[in-house]
Amino acid sequence: MTSKQNILSEIRKHGRQPIEMPSFETLSPVRYEDCLEQFVVTARQVGGRVALLEEGTDINALIRSFYPEASVIASSLPFVEAALDPDTVADARELNGTDVGVVKGEVAVAENGCVWVPQTMKERAVLFISECLVIIVDRKDIVNNMHEAYSRIDNPGYGCFISGPSKTADIAQALVMGAQAARDVLYVIV
Amino acid sequence: MKVGLFVPCYVDALYPEVGVASYKLLTALGVDVDYPLEQTCCGQPESNGGFEDMAVSQAEHFEDVFKGFDYVVGPSASCAAFVKLNYPRLLHGKHECETAGKVMDMVEFLHDVLKVESLPGRFPHVVSVHNSCHGVRELGLSSPSERNIPVYSKIKNLLNLVEGITVREPERPDECCGFGGLFSVDEKEVSVKMGEDKLRRHMETGAEYITGPDSSCLMHMQGIAKNGKHPVKFKHVVEILAAGL
Amino acid sequence: MATRHSKAARLFQKNREKAEWQDNTLWGVRVKRDRMAKSLDEWETLRDMASAIKKHTVTNLDVYLEQFAENAEKNGIIVHWAKDAEEFNETVLDILRSHDVRKLVKSKSMLTEECEMNPYLEKNGIKVVETDLGERIIQLLDQKPSHIVMPAIHLTQEEVGALFEKELGSEKGNSDPAYLTYCARKSLRDEFLTADAGLTGANFGVAQTGEIVICTNEGNADMSTSVPKLHIAAMGIEKVIPDYRSLAVFHRLLARSATGQPSTTFTSHFRGPRPGGEMHIILVDNGRSRMLGDDLHWETLKCIRCGACMNTCPVYRRSGGYSYTYFIPGPVGVNLGMLRDGKKYHDNVSACSLCCSCDNVCPAKVNLSEQIYAWRQQLRDFGKEPMSKKVMSGGMKFIFDRPGLYNAAIGCSPLINAAASAAGYAGLGLWGKGRDLPEFAKESFHTMWKKGKVKNDK
Repeated sequence: MTSKQNILSEIRKHGRQPIEMPSFETLSPVRYEDCLEQFVVTARQVGGRVALLEEGTDINALIRSFYPEASVIASSLPFVEAALDPDTVADARELNGTDVGVVKGEVAVAENGCVWVPQTMKERAVLFISECLVIIVDRKDIVNNMHEAYSRIDNPGYGCFISGPSKTADIAQALVMGAQAARDVLYVIV
Repeated sequence: MKVGLFVPCYVDALYPEVGVASYKLLTALGVDVDYPLEQTCCGQPESNGGFEDMAVSQAEHFEDVFKGFDYVVGPSASCAAFVKLNYPRLLHGKHECETAGKVMDMVEFLHDVLKVESLPGRFPHVVSVHNSCHGVRELGLSSPSERNIPVYSKIKNLLNLVEGITVREPERPDECCGFGGLFSVDEKEVSVKMGEDKLRRHMETGAEYITGPDSSCLMHMQGIAKNGKHPVKFKHVVEILAAGL
Repeated sequence: MATRHSKAARLFQKNREKAEWQDNTLWGVRVKRDRMAKSLDEWETLRDMASAIKKHTVTNLDVYLEQFAENAEKNGIIVHWAKDAEEFNETVLDILRSHDVRKLVKSKSMLTEECEMNPYLEKNGIKVVETDLGERIIQLLDQKPSHIVMPAIHLTQEEVGALFEKELGSEKGNSDPAYLTYCARKSLRDEFLTADAGLTGANFGVAQTGEIVICTNEGNADMSTSVPKLHIAAMGIEKVIPDYRSLAVFHRLLARSATGQPSTTFTSHFRGPRPGGEMHIILVDNGRSRMLGDDLHWETLKCIRCGACMNTCPVYRRSGGYSYTYFIPGPVGVNLGMLRDGKKYHDNVSACSLCCSCDNVCPAKVNLSEQIYAWRQQLRDFGKEPMSKKVMSGGMKFIFDRPGLYNAAIGCSPLINAAASAAGYAGLGLWGKGRDLPEFAKESFHTMWKKGKVKNDK
């Protein structure tokens, strides 16, 4: 007997009377009057920064204004001026040393500051290896809560909800930004 | 309505005045009360220690003694909760358990059945309410701090009917005092530390009295207060509600 | 009567300052959790749903596991099944060897702790680097986690500073958490870039989509799997959930319960290997199917490992993770240890005052304290019933069963303390230092009643 068969037969042997899946009808999840406003508040609470891109402003100028010192920008977005392209690097390691990674998010969640970033680039390391991460979000894509978010997303193979910069409190419960991944996250809302 | 007064074993031996206050308060409120002399202990002490089977005969005895009453009321949330939640299981297969549905803590009975709206007494003191674990989380005498439900306290509602009283609550309002029956013996150091912490938080409210629906918790904290020579006093909530009787 | 837990707790309490710090710090996490719970009107409904979904899933576990595996395979993931820890460890080693892996970076996984994977791999010549900061710290100290979410909560920043000075060459005497975190970041960055494979746990496995979901704050699971080409995920079979609808419920509860955040920073969904990479999932039973058959305790399988029961437990906060003999401490650890091996881990059932706070914070509504109570009743099944307590309880029973004797004992109590020892509250010298004995009344209520002294004059 394979281990798979063994485990499944053990489960059936010890199995319990099946219990029904609950109805989701009793659940009325939180909704906000203004999702954008709430997203901005929550995104800041989780340590992120937020910029609203005004009509007619150049996104590259905006990124520069937030990161004037940045020398290496990595992005596979065609409209972003970048030195490195996660689509064309031969190996993820080449992205090490990136000051600012720029990516596009598909769904933003007002209740928790999460933004869904699917892997649309060849090397997703750009999401984590960059010192700072810029996530561009369309204001039309902000939803109230995770239930709405999960009903909208599709995962091409990998995708991540990112809620602010990498953080840890593992040393004496003191909150520190920038544990292993980006130390700073800027949400640009267009 | 006939009420059987249930005076738990340790209240009987250590705090008879709490039993007396219960009797006086109930009769003052016009309740027909009897105290069946054959009662002993509900069986919680052994059960919490892991010897629930030893409590089966006590459950049967309790059932015999009290099943004829409309309500079984006692000044101890923990004991009432034990009967209510465990007796149906202990008596399972023997006979139907009647007392589990009739047993009530005094606070519960006064608040929910008698719906007391005024009390004659005066107690011009600052008291800190001890929300005992089983009172909060098994009987629902107040809303557990962990839950997102409307905040309420049957204990505070009743205490506030007493003239002159100032009612407070400690920080961490329903953290355990560390008694826990045999836990206090098994895990002595942790139990004492829990008690010390709880006592300190009660005293920090500026209270002259610590009060609650369980004499066992009060006894534990009183032991610690005496050991540390702290002047704070202890009174069961029923004694305060019966003030002046 | 002292259990190994109580003895270890006594030692923990000897360092008063550290003990106080731990209590206050973890209570602080509980307060943050409360704030989150109270910010959502639907909080209690979410808990009810999480409990119901887990019950549904584990009572249909074979169906969901097969669905999960089938869909994961369709996504190009290689799925393995391991019936126990030994098979799990061997499977990991086989995969690593067939890829010539010498260095493995890994994110936190309680399952790999359970299977003692790290020592097994090290013994077989694989270098294992923990990448969660807390896990890395205790790995460098050769210690075990003292909390499942905050593994290094037992250490002060000075202790971490001294460790990093020795191991990572940080500045002498600098114990600033931000500085130390930066030092670890630099050192771990090198490890990520030079590792041959990444290993992660799994918070959830979604049957409908055949993907796993991992929640971290540091991004270390993602760093571990976005640089090396080989990803191995270890997943306990009870981690499977039906679909995205269910996932939304658990996602909303997990971080709020664990740390009081509205979400972990990263919620990573792995539905297949990276371009040019390889992904393996190992489904591990290791006793879980047997636990499912335990009528009293199967609901422990609903646990989503948030650690909230530890933070709220007044005993855990005052005794520390190392006072428990099972590798998972706190209320859920007491239960999981007993499910694992009651003979070996029975010492932990004393670590509970039955305050029931854990039951009320648990996002999956596991009836933790009820189960600890039940385990106490079952100790004799493992030949572990405490004799002195049995004698004491037997004494209580003897007296309580005999109303006449009970009343005689109560009547004499000022002299002999019989009722008190009978009630287990005193006697045998066990009440200990720090507490005075209660004083007995001159007359019991019972005696007063018999003498007609109980009356209402008004």
